[in-house]
Amino acid sequence: MAEGGGAVPGILRGGEALTLLFAAVVLDLAGAAAGQAPPLSFVDVAADSGISRVLLAGRPGKDHLLDSAGAGAAWLDYDQDGDLDAYLVNGWRLDGATVVEKGRNALYRNLGSGRFEDATDRAGVGGEGEWGAGVAVADYDGDSWPDLFLSSFGKNVLYRNRGDGTFENVASRAGVESPGWNTGAAFLDSDSDGDLDLYVATYISHSLEQVLQARPDLDWKGMAKVAVGPFGLRGAADHYFESDGKGGFTDATERAGLSDKLLGYGFAVRAADLDVDGDQDLYVANDSEPNYLYRGRSDGTFEEVGLWTGAALDGDGAAQAGMGVTVGDANADGLPDIFVTNFQDDHCTLYLGEGGGFFRDASDETGVAAPTYPLLSWGTAFVDLDQDGDQDLVVANGHIYPQVDAHPDSGTSYRQRNLLLRNDGAGRFTDVTADAGPGFKPAKSNRGLATGDFDDDGDPDLLITALDDRPNLLRNDTAGGAWLSVLLDPAPIAGPAIGAKVTVRTGTRTQWRDLASSDSFLSSHDPRLHFGLGAATTADRLEIRWPDGNRQAYEGIPVNLRLVVPRRLPDRPRTGG
Amino acid sequence: MKRSTSTWMFVIVGLCSGIAVAQHPGKSGSTTATPPSLVSTYSSLADTILGAREAEKNLVHAILATTYGHAQAALAAANTKLHAKQDARAEIESLAALVAQLGNEGDASVAAVRKRLVDAGHHHHHHADDQNKDEYDEGFVLVTKAAKKAFIDASKEIGKLAASPSAAALDAQWQKVAAQFQASCEGAKH
Repeated sequence: MAEGGGAVPGILRGGEALTLLFAAVVLDLAGAAAGQAPPLSFVDVAADSGISRVLLAGRPGKDHLLDSAGAGAAWLDYDQDGDLDAYLVNGWRLDGATVVEKGRNALYRNLGSGRFEDATDRAGVGGEGEWGAGVAVADYDGDSWPDLFLSSFGKNVLYRNRGDGTFENVASRAGVESPGWNTGAAFLDSDSDGDLDLYVATYISHSLEQVLQARPDLDWKGMAKVAVGPFGLRGAADHYFESDGKGGFTDATERAGLSDKLLGYGFAVRAADLDVDGDQDLYVANDSEPNYLYRGRSDGTFEEVGLWTGAALDGDGAAQAGMGVTVGDANADGLPDIFVTNFQDDHCTLYLGEGGGFFRDASDETGVAAPTYPLLSWGTAFVDLDQDGDQDLVVANGHIYPQVDAHPDSGTSYRQRNLLLRNDGAGRFTDVTADAGPGFKPAKSNRGLATGDFDDDGDPDLLITALDDRPNLLRNDTAGGAWLSVLLDPAPIAGPAIGAKVTVRTGTRTQWRDLASSDSFLSSHDPRLHFGLGAATTADRLEIRWPDGNRQAYEGIPVNLRLVVPRRLPDRPRTGG
Repeated sequence: MKRSTSTWMFVIVGLCSGIAVAQHPGKSGSTTATPPSLVSTYSSLADTILGAREAEKNLVHAILATTYGHAQAALAAANTKLHAKQDARAEIESLAALVAQLGNEGDASVAAVRKRLVDAGHHHHHHADDQNKDEYDEGFVLVTKAAKKAFIDASKEIGKLAASPSAAALDAQWQKVAAQFQASCEGAKH
């Protein structure tokens, strides 16, 4: 029964599909009863699905770091027809100092049967000819339609969703073009005024001319000459844009306390309530430098606290080469944990939350250090792929130097397999990649990664971009446990849903997810929050904490449902801002 | 940036003068010996380079000492509030941030300068020497890797005390910081 007199939230479309899913869960429960974890199984269905856009990535020799940085991917329901559409950001192809092709981004509209159609031209979201990097998805103007912010090497693009299947680029008049090498971006309501502000990380201060003239002059282990950087190249300052609530933004970086004095080599950005004080904080994964943790004060100002809260360095006090970042709950203690992907010959780092906004590097004890050490890692996600009630980790990998392939004795390769780390429920991870099905066999130089249930069968699938290659669409064929999918439907008058936190309790197990505009490496996941529920037949309680602090709760929710939770209007005035 | 350009202009002018001298041997009549004026100029330049290294060490020491002084002030402010049974969270967090700065050999602005030097190939400690490579982060002058970790660890412990402050616990952490600071300063004497 619902709490507070409300009804159980609405069930999204597809009642017939729901019936079929119940059948699948019955099979899973039989396996669970035998005490065996079902094998994870993924199949690449990109070719059959029609998702085929090749990610252009500079020159074959990757003469400049921009050639090998890659780009992100997103899942969103841009036409609000109830299923997930895919968006792919694209780069450029170069031949020496000549621009051969300016890649076009791609929007793939889900046709509902595992097939997609290219809707890029119709929607007008080709990327404006910029060298694309990242994507963040949010309804920035509060009209209930998801918009696209695209970070670029060049001018950023802000595609406002008109709600009729088309978009318009409003970056210039919104004041967020900010030319440069922009990378990760995140929307968040940092001043509690009910609109979404925007943080954009930047990497290196380089002109297109410098990119075109670049030569691989850096000596790599005495074996090859490779692209120079990031050491030796000037970093660029990140930007924070404060929304005026009318679709415009003002660069308020300094006023907000977000001046990037270090000029860090910023890549991925994640907004989340990392100290569980009810407001949004920012985590920035920096390449080769300490990561930033900006603690939000909920008034639009921040304080950088990464070093003394344990979230900036590894356990030895060393800075790492941060690429991607995801936030979840590895050990089910209710506290946010941060997982950062790093360069090869160094481990990805799992920062376990200790409460109060403090973290510690638990990479060794949780088992994530060893399997990630030999890989160069990028996109990532906390996601319950087997739906057993804990969050697994998936990591996209690939080197930046194609030259390494000429040296088999170097112990590495340009193309690398992606990695799947299964959570045992207590926060201990095991590398199960080899047994994760054919989808995890091919090696590519992978980059962006976005999770989303594109086939609406209840389990999360994976969309992964790769340099000079078509993306992988890894369909999850795992016979997993029960699930719940929660789509937050905000009331425009009450502010955005980005930053909301959903908690689901089943028996003694409590899980949470937060809604973020971006995660992973330059990517954005399914806006429908996914919960694996194992053998549970009912979710005892579901609670939403909206960004303004208001809460809604429901009890006795059947499993294997897609829920659309409409926002109840606030019962108290919004504070701040 | 202007000062740097001027310095190099001076060196270049000096070198050009030397070349002119080399083309017209002096009274010694030797055509194989490096002209004394060039040697002298080079020697002066060496003094400047070596002096700059020493100046860098002294400057970093001054940065650490200043940060340490700020930390002492934050500690005192925190203790004052604790003894008055007032909320000392801000002062303790400030102390934590300052101790972290000791570990980082300065704040982000200082780190940016250090990055410039490293990017240009300058390392105070020669990383060709494996011992130094193991001992210091790139570009660090006085704070060893071990000292950095000790400062960072202490800063976190101090930060945690902001939520449940105790003068005794704060003092215990501060003793670690003080000892580490003294040890790091010893490096400035060598």
